[in-house]
Amino acid sequence: MKLTIAHLYPDSMSLYGEYANIAVLRRHLEAMGVEAAVRNFTCEDPPDFSDADFIYMGAGTERRQKSVLIAAPRCAPALKAAAEKGAVILFTGNAMETLGASVTDASGKVWPGYGLADFTTVETDQRTPGDVVASPVLWDAPAVGFMNKCSVTHGIAAPLFHSLPLGFGNDAEHGAEGYVSGNVFATHLTGPALVKNPDFLDLVIRRLFALKGWEVPERLPVLPHEREAYAVTLRELEARIK
Amino acid sequence: MRLFFAIIVCKLLRFIGKLAGKGSSLPGQYALKICPDALGRVKLPPCVIAVTGSNGKTSTVEMIAAILRKSGRTVVYNEEGSNQIEGVATLILCSSSLSGRMRGDVLLLESDERYARRTFRWFHPTHFVITNLYRDQLTRNGHPEWVYNAILPAIHPETTLALNADDPLVSLFAQGHENVKWFGLEECSVSTKEHHGVYHDGARCPACQGRMEYICYHYEHIGHYQCADCGYRRHETDFAVTALDLERGTLTIDGDTEISLAFKSIYNVYNILAAWSVCSLAGVDKETMASVINNYILKNGRMVRFTLGEHHGTLLTSKHENSVAYDTNLNYIARAKAPCQALIIVDAISRKYFTGETSWLWDIDFDQLNCEQVKKIILCGKYVHDLAMRFDYTAIPAEKIACYDAVPQAAAALAEDGGREDLYVVTCFSDRDKLLNLVKKEEG
Repeated sequence: MKLTIAHLYPDSMSLYGEYANIAVLRRHLEAMGVEAAVRNFTCEDPPDFSDADFIYMGAGTERRQKSVLIAAPRCAPALKAAAEKGAVILFTGNAMETLGASVTDASGKVWPGYGLADFTTVETDQRTPGDVVASPVLWDAPAVGFMNKCSVTHGIAAPLFHSLPLGFGNDAEHGAEGYVSGNVFATHLTGPALVKNPDFLDLVIRRLFALKGWEVPERLPVLPHEREAYAVTLRELEARIK
Repeated sequence: MRLFFAIIVCKLLRFIGKLAGKGSSLPGQYALKICPDALGRVKLPPCVIAVTGSNGKTSTVEMIAAILRKSGRTVVYNEEGSNQIEGVATLILCSSSLSGRMRGDVLLLESDERYARRTFRWFHPTHFVITNLYRDQLTRNGHPEWVYNAILPAIHPETTLALNADDPLVSLFAQGHENVKWFGLEECSVSTKEHHGVYHDGARCPACQGRMEYICYHYEHIGHYQCADCGYRRHETDFAVTALDLERGTLTIDGDTEISLAFKSIYNVYNILAAWSVCSLAGVDKETMASVINNYILKNGRMVRFTLGEHHGTLLTSKHENSVAYDTNLNYIARAKAPCQALIIVDAISRKYFTGETSWLWDIDFDQLNCEQVKKIILCGKYVHDLAMRFDYTAIPAEKIACYDAVPQAAAALAEDGGREDLYVVTCFSDRDKLLNLVKKEEG
């Protein structure tokens, strides 16, 4: 069994160890007998995602995100085609913003996004970094992580998390966060979100298996330390909420 | 008159505070309430030096002070490290006469990179040293470009900037600024053609986001670079380390002055060069600078030697949430000759604020410990599972790694293992006393 991972712009959009999301996914897939090939893209590469089963982009600085947005009109048709084919797409951190209709920067300039969704984002000159506990729509256990954003996103009807017991959502403290539509997932959670959240990783794996028409085993692999690390972070963050 | 009262109140509160063992921010805070523009009214010394950047501020400032004092100048500086405006106000007002004239020949400030603009709204340094901009405490600082944007408004047109030419983002401060002096490291024994490290913050040009090409790397994204798209490139230096032998612990400045290193780290090399550059700009002669810097042992040393069981230990203080600090210390261990063990502690991520954020562990190049002389690696602390997971993605054999939930367990295991290997400990200020309280410290 083989599949292809497209990692978009790791030379620009890798501010918080995001490569770990690819590494942990590959490791789990290997444990299930799946060989995953990874193709790294730069903004200058031709945007050919036709063989990609999983497409990932992580967080970058505001300037790096704009360099991605400059190329967005050129890349949008390929990304849309991949989404229509059912490829699993995950954008984390401020990469999430690029999926929408536009990003308005702090100077008021409007940058068109990929347009896979019609939400819009406005950057501010205030950062709201902070730990996050999130209540997922698609799985049970709370998600944990960190956000480091300086923006608000409006117009999302289908969030990935219906509320944040800890943290700033798309446009409000404790509000709904992220975006989901079919196999397209987006969240402002930064860094190794799949490493920190084993259930989120399992969801991605199940969607990939379904896409490929493979039978999903009843139990997915659990690798050492993953559940324990998650439990410690959740315990610490929940104590913080109380 | 308000300045007069502000100075009196500041001195009084500082006096009381010292008796009560309190920090140095509060007196300045009150004084600024009485006279908000006090820092603009005080007559400052003719030379005002500020140092900012992600790493190396404290060490650089300490060496600058030592050199300037040796040259006969009276230096006033924030030795206690209170580097935001309130602490700076305490320092300045407590060093001023009641008529508002500050004593000393030089005011020397370690300046917090995010809050420099608050301090320098009221006065500006004659010399401003910017050492480097790395990923550092992203939970607080945002990211290096965000910090760049925060420092930029703190730079006055009349200030002479002393910039690290080898850091592409730091070098960007020179755009549109007339008075710039540059320091950097020539291609030398530590330089490589390939990039080392887990991430590459220099991959893209900070000026145009084009593809950056490196002629050589000294470490991480520090090196000699040029942008393939816009031509932005490393500037020629005014002060340079022209030869470096980290094995032997020597460096040569400007081709004619050899300096011995008490701490053989590339970090120390840049801190020394930064101190050298600004002291030279302040008019100190080479002989005086060399005599102070040669074999200089930092008072603010972050290396502690101790014994634990049969192990001779060295604690290399890093900063959590700062992968460059970790990488530097891991590199130190990788260059060790004798068999050793490494202990890594991540228990409280910060001593100043709460966070459970551990993504920075994925930015650290732990594979540096994958070498023959490192016999065993002990991971411990509350976040041991995050650490252990990170190590699962290195090439280090699993049988070399042991995990403990708490520092006392790890210390007990080391004390009783009967081994005599050197022990290197890598951890942060927030966690290091948890180990140091359990070991026998060595003097000196």
